Amino acid sequence: MDVLPYILVTAVTVGAMYSLATLGLSLVWGAMGMLNMAHGALLTLGGYAAYSAVTAAGLAWPFGFVAAIIVGALFGAFLYFGLVRFMLGSTAFETNIIIATVGIAIALENVILLIYGGQPLGQPVSLDGMFRLGQVPVASQNLLIVVLSVAIMFLVAFTLRTSKIGRAIRATAQNREAARLMGVPTRSIYLQVLAISGALAAVSGVLLSSITQLSPPLGNDPMLKAFIMCVVAGLGNVQGSVLAAFVLALVEACTQFYLGARWGLPVLLILVILALIWRPYGVFGRTQVTRL
Amino acid sequence: MRSDTRRDLLVAFAFLAVFIALPFLLPGRYYLGQIVLIFFYAIVASQWNLVFGVAGIFSLAQMALFAFGAYTTAMLGFYLDWSVWLAMPVAGLATIFVSILVGLACLRLTGAYVALLTLAIAQVMYFLIVTDTECYVMEGVRCRQFTGGAVGFSQFGDLGTRKAFRGDWLTANYFIVLGLLIVSLLFTYVIMRSPMGLAFRALRDNPGYAVSRGISRFKYQLLVFGLSAFFTGVAGGLWASHFRAIGPNLLNLSLMLFVLAMIVVGAVGRFWGALVGAILLVAADEVMREFGEFRTLGLGLILAFFVVAMPQGVLGLLESAVQKLKPKRAEQDSPSP
Repeated sequence: MDVLPYILVTAVTVGAMYSLATLGLSLVWGAMGMLNMAHGALLTLGGYAAYSAVTAAGLAWPFGFVAAIIVGALFGAFLYFGLVRFMLGSTAFETNIIIATVGIAIALENVILLIYGGQPLGQPVSLDGMFRLGQVPVASQNLLIVVLSVAIMFLVAFTLRTSKIGRAIRATAQNREAARLMGVPTRSIYLQVLAISGALAAVSGVLLSSITQLSPPLGNDPMLKAFIMCVVAGLGNVQGSVLAAFVLALVEACTQFYLGARWGLPVLLILVILALIWRPYGVFGRTQVTRL
Repeated sequence: MRSDTRRDLLVAFAFLAVFIALPFLLPGRYYLGQIVLIFFYAIVASQWNLVFGVAGIFSLAQMALFAFGAYTTAMLGFYLDWSVWLAMPVAGLATIFVSILVGLACLRLTGAYVALLTLAIAQVMYFLIVTDTECYVMEGVRCRQFTGGAVGFSQFGDLGTRKAFRGDWLTANYFIVLGLLIVSLLFTYVIMRSPMGLAFRALRDNPGYAVSRGISRFKYQLLVFGLSAFFTGVAGGLWASHFRAIGPNLLNLSLMLFVLAMIVVGAVGRFWGALVGAILLVAADEVMREFGEFRTLGLGLILAFFVVAMPQGVLGLLESAVQKLKPKRAEQDSPSP
């Protein structure tokens, strides 16, 4: 039996999910130089929001995504009003925001643990059934993941490229001061970017939990991988991180198949270290190396 | 004598007097055990503070180095029957080596990239230990993984205090750990006050200017990674010998955050920050223990609150309060390290 098609199916599915998770991180870093360590907790939050909407409120499964998007965006906005608003422009923003969001992340994970308990739950927001792609059986859920992720990515790319908000976000990312002088309300841009990123994280949390299980630390491992992808691509480089997500998902799927599941993350890490030694600001990073 | 040196000496003697008196004043073993925990955390936090606070390199690998020291000590004792007293310094040296490797990997990175890379290194170490299922030796019917797997190690020897002091073993351990704390704090103090400490701070505050004045970033970054590693590794070994058991939970994210919170709450980059932060956070943890399951939640919120509301830490707040009270003295006092 040829295993390559299976590896490819896994890699494409996982890559789609990773790129969605990476997208939010990358946007936030690009627009405001903020490394959001609460991103993993947001993933988990989205998964549980969808779970509650379907099981407790009894909505049809597509509404699980709606619930996740709303909750994720609200939490993103909370990050702005609770933390970022006070810290913007302070010295050592780059490191302090990491510490602050880590604090929020473990608090949120703990709240989820207190509400839902630690036992793994099944995600009801998923499609049943299989179909055949040539010779390879593929679960319908995998198709849903890929289609949804790609659709969302195109939507985000389209918004960034054409809409007014998108232009304002890009302007802020390129040069904060100049954007503000040109009348871009940078603070409300930050709020919007955090809300969008929260919604993206929440959706990828729903998708992720549909092929694994819901548990409070659900988002931690994907967040670490999303970081790795962001770093490989160069923090803040949106297109690069999507490409890196697919490439690294393929590498991971191959490693896990040929070397065993436990080597997936270490091999990714070694690749990252090598990539960073080769290009310290990421493979597609914009910033030139400052030689000191 | 400089006024801040005199102040540091006074503070040091006050702490020392309290710490020496404590075992004879505290009721029961529980609180003594908690103070020992404070000492351990303060040792790691003070070394971490050298990297993060003084040199300004946001490395998250310090707890992984601590765990590395603990595992090295435990494994030398377990597989080779070494005494922990011999294994601890060897573990410290081995930790220096590993830390310099981490420093090399981070050499060309700055800020958030360093944090991400070191976090990933720590997580991979945890992941590889926990998922280790291959049998290395058989113990009767049970199988033991080379890294101890999810269970970890026990019965690799201890400090020998239980045999020598019997009922008072905890007091003996207390003074051993206190001794290590004193030595590592002295070490930190000397580094912070030496020209080397100045170089670290110069590279933190203005790397461009520092380099143009002939300070080699390569040399000093590797130096700070190496110097901060020895006592971290030895403290890890002492932790293993004190508790007589270790496991991968040493690499838990929440433990790392707990120690990081000590630096942030105490004061980033200040000499007394690590010790004060360790005392405050272990005390806060004690209080939150009453609320059981809300402990982690409280820790997270404390961390976020302090970074947002008082990024200078408790000591920074204290100092600016003192400066307000004595506006004339403020000019003479050079800022403390």
